[in-house]
Amino acid sequence: MPAVVFHFPTFEFPPEAEALRRDVRAFLAEERAAGLWRPGGDFATHYDPSFSRRLGERGWLGMTWPEQYGGHERSALERLALTEELLAANAPVAAHWIADRQSGPLLLRYGSESQRREFVPRIARGEIFFSIGMSEPDSGSDLASIRTRATRVDGGWRIVGQKVWTTFAHLNHYAIVLARTGDAGESRHEGLSQFIVDLKASDVTVRPIVNMAGQREFNEVIFDGTFVAEDRLVGEPGNGWRQVTSELAYERSGPERYLSCIRLLEATLRCAGRDASPRLLEALGRACAKLIALRSMSITVAALLQNGETPDLEAALIKDLGSAFEREQIGVFRALKTELHPPSAEYLGALAEATLYAPSWTLRGGTREILRGIVARGLGLR
Amino acid sequence: MPAPDIRIVQPVLAFDATLEDAARRAFSDLAERWYRHGSGPAADEPERRRSLLRTVVDLGFADALPAPDTRDAWPDAAVIIRAQARFAVPVDMALLLATGDREASIGGDPSEYVCTARSDAPPDTNAAAALALGRCLQISSAMQAALELSLGYVQQRKQFGRPLARFQAIQHSLAIAAEEVAASVAITDLALACMVAEGGASARLPALLDAAAIVAGRGVDVVYDVCHQVHGAIGFTREYALHRHSLDLLRWRDHLHALCGGELRCAERLGALAIAANGLWPGLTSLMKGGDSE
Repeated sequence: MPAVVFHFPTFEFPPEAEALRRDVRAFLAEERAAGLWRPGGDFATHYDPSFSRRLGERGWLGMTWPEQYGGHERSALERLALTEELLAANAPVAAHWIADRQSGPLLLRYGSESQRREFVPRIARGEIFFSIGMSEPDSGSDLASIRTRATRVDGGWRIVGQKVWTTFAHLNHYAIVLARTGDAGESRHEGLSQFIVDLKASDVTVRPIVNMAGQREFNEVIFDGTFVAEDRLVGEPGNGWRQVTSELAYERSGPERYLSCIRLLEATLRCAGRDASPRLLEALGRACAKLIALRSMSITVAALLQNGETPDLEAALIKDLGSAFEREQIGVFRALKTELHPPSAEYLGALAEATLYAPSWTLRGGTREILRGIVARGLGLR
Repeated sequence: MPAPDIRIVQPVLAFDATLEDAARRAFSDLAERWYRHGSGPAADEPERRRSLLRTVVDLGFADALPAPDTRDAWPDAAVIIRAQARFAVPVDMALLLATGDREASIGGDPSEYVCTARSDAPPDTNAAAALALGRCLQISSAMQAALELSLGYVQQRKQFGRPLARFQAIQHSLAIAAEEVAASVAITDLALACMVAEGGASARLPALLDAAAIVAGRGVDVVYDVCHQVHGAIGFTREYALHRHSLDLLRWRDHLHALCGGELRCAERLGALAIAANGLWPGLTSLMKGGDSE
C-alpha cells in the first residue's frame, strides 16, 4: 500500500535566517519612511525595477546561487525569510520575482555555461527580468498541447506561435518560451524545448491584455518567425517537459500562495486597533491559525528543496490549501466591514483589490482543479 | 553551494517524569489486558499481540508490568500513549492503540461517543497542555486512519462499471480531505516540537495549541464530511470500521475544545495576540520562532 498521508516534518529557521529577517524588516521600514513606494498589490502586480535593483545591491536576489554566477550562497531558509518579509510588506517585487524564483534556478540547473555566465549574474544584480512563456490561447492547464513550434534553421531556431497571459512581457527583458521541437510521443511530453527569447527583439510582438481590474499586467506575445540563436536553447532539445516541471515545486510552495490576502487582514487589524470586537478577533485568530499551518508546511518544502528533494506533490497541496484560504478570507473580512468604525481607506482599498484579483489566485501557477488532480495522484487515486 | 543548514526538530518520547509515569502505567495496562485477557480487537491476532508486547519492551515500559489499576485515569493516560505511539510504533500499532482507547473509555451507546469527553482541565498547566497536545495527536492519527480507510474503499467499490476512485469528483473530495489532514498534522507537529524543545511551561505553547485546536477542528469537519460521503451508506453502520474513527474524532475534538475553553475563545486569544503585536504577521512570526523568543 502506498503512503497515503502526506507528512510535513517540522523545520525551524536557523538563527542567521531570523537575523536576516530583522535586517529585511529594518530595510523595508526605511524604504517606506522615505516614501520610495506604497504597500500594495502582490508579487504578480507590484512592479518597480529600481526596488529590485536595490535588493540586488544588498545581495538579496539570487541568494542561494553559487558566487561564481553572482549568487550569495545563502540557504533556502534564509531566502524564504526574505521572501516572506517582502510579501508580508506588499513590497514591489514583481519585476524580479519570476527571474529570481525560477528562471535563474532553471538556467543554473539546465542552462549552458555561457548562458549561466551571461544571464544569471545580471538577474542577481536586478538588471534583467524574465517572464514565463508557457500558456497559449488553446493551452492553459493542458500545457502539453501547446502549438508554438520552433524549427531548426541555419545558426539557430525559428519560432512561430503565440503565448498568452504573459505577465509584464511589455516591461521584462526576456521570456523562457516552451515550444514544440519534435514529435509529442505517446506521453505527449516528448519533443518540447525551452528557449530564452528577447522580448525587445523586433520580430517579437507584445500586445496588452487589460484585466477586469482595469490593469495591464498581462500580454499576448506573438512569434511570427522569430529567430533565436542556437545558444538560446535551454538544456537539451526535447527535454522541455522535465525542465518545466522541475520549476513547479519552486513556483507552488512559496509564501506567495497564502499571503495574497495579507494586506486586507492587516488593514482590518490596523483599522480596528485595540477596539477590535470579539467577532473581529475571532476572524483574525482563525486566519492566524491557518496561516501558521500553511507557513509551517511551506518552510518544510523549502527545507526539502534545499536537501535536494523534489516535493512537487507537497507543493501542489500547499498551493491548493493556501489559495483556497486566501479566497475564503475575502468573504470573512468583507462581512466585518460594519465592525470598523469607520472602515479606513486602506481597508476599503485592500478589500476592493483582493476582491477583483481573487479569481486569478486560484488560477495562476496551476488551477485548483489541476492541483487537486496532482494530490489525488499522490493518494494513489489516479 | 554551501552545506544545508537545517535543523529537524525531533520529537522525543517523554515529556516529563509525571507524564512518562502516566504513559507507562496506561501502556502496561493496555498490554496486559490484551495479553492476559485477550480482550480488544487484537484478541484473535496473536502475532499482533506479540508485536504489541515487543513494542512495550522496546519503549522501555516492560518493567511496569503487571499494571496497577489505573482504570480511572484511563482516558487521559491513553492520550499520552497515543502521543508517544505515533512516533514510536508502526502505524498499524497506533491504530490498534486508538481502538483500545476507544473501547476502554466509552460505552456502547452511540450518543455517549460525542459527550463522554471530560471537560475539566487538570489544574496543572503542564498537564493541561500535554493533554490538549495529546488530543491533537490523536485527532491527527484518527484523521489519517479515516482517510486511509476511504482511499481503500473507493478503489474497491464499483459503480457505473468502474471504481469510485476513477471519478474526478471523488478524487477531488479526497484531495481536499488530505490537504486538511496534512495541515492538522503539520500544526500539531509544530506544537509538539515546541513542547519537546521548551517544555509544558513554554510561553508560546498555549497559542500554538489554540491554533492547532482551530485547524484540527476544521479538519475534523472536512474529514467527517468527505470520508462518510465517499463511503455511502456502509460508512453509516455499526458493522463497518469508519464509525470508530469518526466517533473518535468527534469526541476528541469536543474534549480538545473543552480543554481550551471553547473554539471561539481559541480564535479570540489568537486574534488578541495579533492585535498586541500590532500585526498578524509580526505576531505569527514571533509565535513560530523557537528558543530565543523575544
